[in-house]
Amino acid sequence: MQKVAIIGIGITPFRARYLDKTYFELAFDATKLALEDANKNGAEITHKDLQSTVYGIYNELFERQFMPDIFTNSYLGMNNKPGTRVATGGATGGYTVRMAFAEVASGLSDLCLCIGLEKCNDCYDEQTGTTTPEVLNAIAYSADMTYEYPMGMMAASSYVSMVNAHYEEFGNPTEEQMAYVSVKNHGNAINNPKAQSPMKLTVEDVMNSRIICYPFKMLDCCLYSEASAALILASEEKVKELKIEKPIWITGVAAANTDCFIGNREDMGRLYSNIYAAKAAYKMAGLDYNKIKSQIDLAELHDAFSGQEVISYEELGFVPFGEGGPWIEKSFEKQGEGPWIEGELPCCPSGGLIGCGHAVGATGIMSTGEAALQLRGEAGKHQVTIEKGRAISHSIGGPGAAYAAVIVMANKEGLMKS
Amino acid sequence: MSKEFQDHQIRDVIRINYKYTMGGHSKFFIELMNNKKLLGTKCNKCGKTWMPPRINCSDCYAPADWVELKQTGTIEVSTIVWYTTSAFIKAIPYGIGFIKLDGAETALLQGIFSENLVPSKIKKGKKVKAVFNKKREGKMTDFFFVPEDEYENWISKPEYEGGE
Repeated sequence: MQKVAIIGIGITPFRARYLDKTYFELAFDATKLALEDANKNGAEITHKDLQSTVYGIYNELFERQFMPDIFTNSYLGMNNKPGTRVATGGATGGYTVRMAFAEVASGLSDLCLCIGLEKCNDCYDEQTGTTTPEVLNAIAYSADMTYEYPMGMMAASSYVSMVNAHYEEFGNPTEEQMAYVSVKNHGNAINNPKAQSPMKLTVEDVMNSRIICYPFKMLDCCLYSEASAALILASEEKVKELKIEKPIWITGVAAANTDCFIGNREDMGRLYSNIYAAKAAYKMAGLDYNKIKSQIDLAELHDAFSGQEVISYEELGFVPFGEGGPWIEKSFEKQGEGPWIEGELPCCPSGGLIGCGHAVGATGIMSTGEAALQLRGEAGKHQVTIEKGRAISHSIGGPGAAYAAVIVMANKEGLMKS
Repeated sequence: MSKEFQDHQIRDVIRINYKYTMGGHSKFFIELMNNKKLLGTKCNKCGKTWMPPRINCSDCYAPADWVELKQTGTIEVSTIVWYTTSAFIKAIPYGIGFIKLDGAETALLQGIFSENLVPSKIKKGKKVKAVFNKKREGKMTDFFFVPEDEYENWISKPEYEGGE
């Protein structure tokens, strides 16, 4: 297997709606940014040097286009080279990084464009005169169409089922503990100029926001967003040839699809996909599931819903099962008014999905790019202290959060498992 | 956005009609529609009961046989939806939950109706019973669950009836 590094990172701002750009125009902006980033120390690569593309695009109904990847491919000037699309719900970004990693690690490409994009808010609900109910409907078609969609199942009611089951088993996360995640991630986004929802909130603000799906409230939920995020992945040989100054090495990639029918699972209060993906990614990176919190500097988590971030702490190995709620409570309170970028393990210093927005296919690539920027020491005002030189990004999605991917990165080649 | 930019939006819709086959699990919907029965399947090798039914056991790749399940069950987890998709927004608030039918090992997602729709009324551990529409089409929306103590009230309504 070839060693693989991230050498270029390009992320467009996450916004509620771009009226001046289509999905492929957003992808163009992210690609251009990633190329500029790769070239900032003197390399001179262009899109013509990229040998393949892996596209992360979740939803045809958002883009009003089936096979949106081929139209993006044309606009990016990537004709006559391989381009493959990945679509795994909210986890699309993480799975796209995994496939782009495989493209380079296998030796098929030495330079690969890994790009995610999504533009959801062109969906429009005529009855309410708003976009969101129609965006939610376009997503709800991802539920099993025979048994689950007809019941009014949607993203929030799917995730809340697992969080409620977790609460029944362990007595947490409480509504207040979930609100801490919302305050933390909206607050961290204040220092991220690309975030859609920077807000200084109190726990009371979250608790008093409108109920969406008991007990999730409006401010417990991420907003759907429009954006594109691109990474340029390179083989070790290319990293040396291009004299890349701060390559970020991908040391572990793993994904796991658990049963999409929540009712089939042994335990409904678990995101099993997280557990399997995390254990496999850490193993590949030579890290220990039970000590991971002390082996990495930060985690960019997939916080589609506040309560789901809390239970992800447990499944990703940060704390034992049942201790996610008390852990966020303790670390939140220690950091007072925020930003919440210190403590035992900073989670979502970028603001995560709750702070940045969720541009589905772009999200996991943005969070991987954000973690890579942190490891370079280039994250700006939300930079965390880098001591261990390692970080993870996490993506989860699909019906019942059936898909999960975990990416482990390091800022020194020597931190790779030999 | 540059000052010269003027946006242009068009209205459009994507719509596909289906006459969709239920394949191997057709029997579940036929029995639901004609006889108000809830059928699961049982693997003839490992004995696992599947609900929703599948005619092959995904655990051991052996065929699974049809078995009739009870119409009573227990709520495993539930929620009340207050904001939702364009297709369901007129129905809010509505209760949904995963129900383990008596005798089944897996839980089925279904609507939980209640005359007093509050979280405590439909929480984990509550016993529920299936109520059927009088007009049935062989779809999951032909039935729903209600708390056991409301069952008689629901089946006395003109549009609904109890099971066999």
